[in-house]
Amino acid sequence: MTGRPAPLPRPAPVPRPSAVLAARYARALDIAAVVAVAGWHLAGAGPLLVAHLGSYPSDQFQIAAWGAIALIIAAGSVLLLRGLQSRGTGWALAAAALAISTAVAAACPPDQMLATDWAWGTAGWVGVLVLLRRPLAELGVFLTLEGVATFAVLTRDGLHRSTVAAFITVLAGSAGIQLAIAVAAGALNVPARQAADAATREADVTARRAVADRIRGARRARWLELRATAEPLLQGLATGTADPGDPAVQRACAVEAARLRRLLAEGDDAPDPLVHELHACADVAQRRGVAVDIETAAVIPAVPPEGRRAITDLAIAVLVNAMSQVRVTVTGTVDGVIVSLVSDSPAEPDLPSSPVWLAVDSQRDQQSLWVEARWNTM
Amino acid sequence: MEHHVTAAIVEDHPVVIEGIISWISADPEQRITVTQVVSDITGLAAPRAADVLILDLELGGRMISDEVTRLAASGYRIVAFSAHVEPARILDVLDAGAHAYVSKDEGRDHLIEAVLAAASDRPCVTRSQAKAILADPRPGRPALSGKERQALLLWFQGMSKASVARRMSISENTVRQYIDRARVKYATLGRAARTKDALLARAIEDGLIRPDEVATYTTLASQPRPALS
Repeated sequence: MTGRPAPLPRPAPVPRPSAVLAARYARALDIAAVVAVAGWHLAGAGPLLVAHLGSYPSDQFQIAAWGAIALIIAAGSVLLLRGLQSRGTGWALAAAALAISTAVAAACPPDQMLATDWAWGTAGWVGVLVLLRRPLAELGVFLTLEGVATFAVLTRDGLHRSTVAAFITVLAGSAGIQLAIAVAAGALNVPARQAADAATREADVTARRAVADRIRGARRARWLELRATAEPLLQGLATGTADPGDPAVQRACAVEAARLRRLLAEGDDAPDPLVHELHACADVAQRRGVAVDIETAAVIPAVPPEGRRAITDLAIAVLVNAMSQVRVTVTGTVDGVIVSLVSDSPAEPDLPSSPVWLAVDSQRDQQSLWVEARWNTM
Repeated sequence: MEHHVTAAIVEDHPVVIEGIISWISADPEQRITVTQVVSDITGLAAPRAADVLILDLELGGRMISDEVTRLAASGYRIVAFSAHVEPARILDVLDAGAHAYVSKDEGRDHLIEAVLAAASDRPCVTRSQAKAILADPRPGRPALSGKERQALLLWFQGMSKASVARRMSISENTVRQYIDRARVKYATLGRAARTKDALLARAIEDGLIRPDEVATYTTLASQPRPALS
């Protein structure tokens, strides 16, 4: 006997459009941060350092510090782009940058510190880079710590009004811009999320519309099909040209009622659609008082809709002719299914013409009529 | 069937008992007499006090399929009578040594025939049995010939044996032989039981099968059985 058909492979989960969009946007933001910070270190801090070489107490220390900051930026960029940034790694790199920046400030000529300190601004940008995925307040804390450390180094020889004013100017120019950029990045995220949500909603609406169109199409096809046979019958009954007392008219009505029930059953999600639809077809005969017994044997293979349609059309033709009992059997075979009906039908049923791929056979023994349909998977 | 047959009934539903007795008394030849009616197997008389035991497989809401082995081993000829029609259960009960399996739906048409066949150790294949045999998925199932299978299928579909004969262009007697042979092949399956030996011996006597066709007993009890749908 045939085995149950293998279950269909589950489709791979499709990411929601909003998630795709948000991920793409976050990626662009990361790359922009890396480019900006690396660019500042190379094109901003680098030339500043080169311009003042010779005026530092130790040029080698300044160059080594610049290299160390470059390494921190490289490490921070890799972590960010690989999605490995965490609170621990972020703050470890930020702390290293803060320490180097403070040491650089301390190793600058004391009277020209604000002019020669290339590291202050760079360290702030490192903070933006390594704390990009952290809450904005953490960057605020970092920039404050850095400002305080630099201010402490600046004022170790005493407080002068001019140096304080210059410090505030530089602070506004670096930390202010860094914070503003971080705020803007957070703010840009909001419209991106809105755009993503809108895309999701649109996709949902499109999917719902497609399903509705398919359902409407299927309903229309069923209605057209029913109309072709049921409408003339109903018109005949309404205009009086068909006599409700005529057994032929009664049988035609029973056929249409069974077909209607079958159409309704076709939309059901039943584990065994063929048997389910045969039950629907039997319903009309049972209402007439005919005992219908439906038996299945072995595993029934899946029969496509057109196969079920041809088989149930045959079943309806037999069922409407049965006097008092019908035995319907559905037998699964190695290569298909055999549906048979044994009924007591004195009148010869008007069997519908079956498609070539459905082998139909029948035999009459007095009152007893046997009709069999064989459908093969091949 | 000139010999008069006695039957004991194990059944706990009064309505069903009434039904069985009314079918038996409606037999125009009055071939069966009910000698005992009990609602539980503990109340049964000795194995051969009655020729045949009509046994409901569900007593007091509990399935007693497991008891069939013991009862068959003590020599009861059992006709299982049950509302259950799952092929796996039917095959189990036949393996355990029951003579025939009659579902409650087919009782009116086949119970008397099954009791008479059991009394003479002859096979009886009801439509529910035919279905179970056709759908037997076990690797160790007996090999049926194409004709045996065709006859069983048409019989399961609901044709009378006369109609099956016409369909297959053979005599009604040959149809019976094909169907009975399929049943007898199942007597060589599962645990050995006195009832199965009797069935096989009678089948050889009747010329239904040749002695060399009787394979040795193969035990299927230890093999896993694939679930049916």
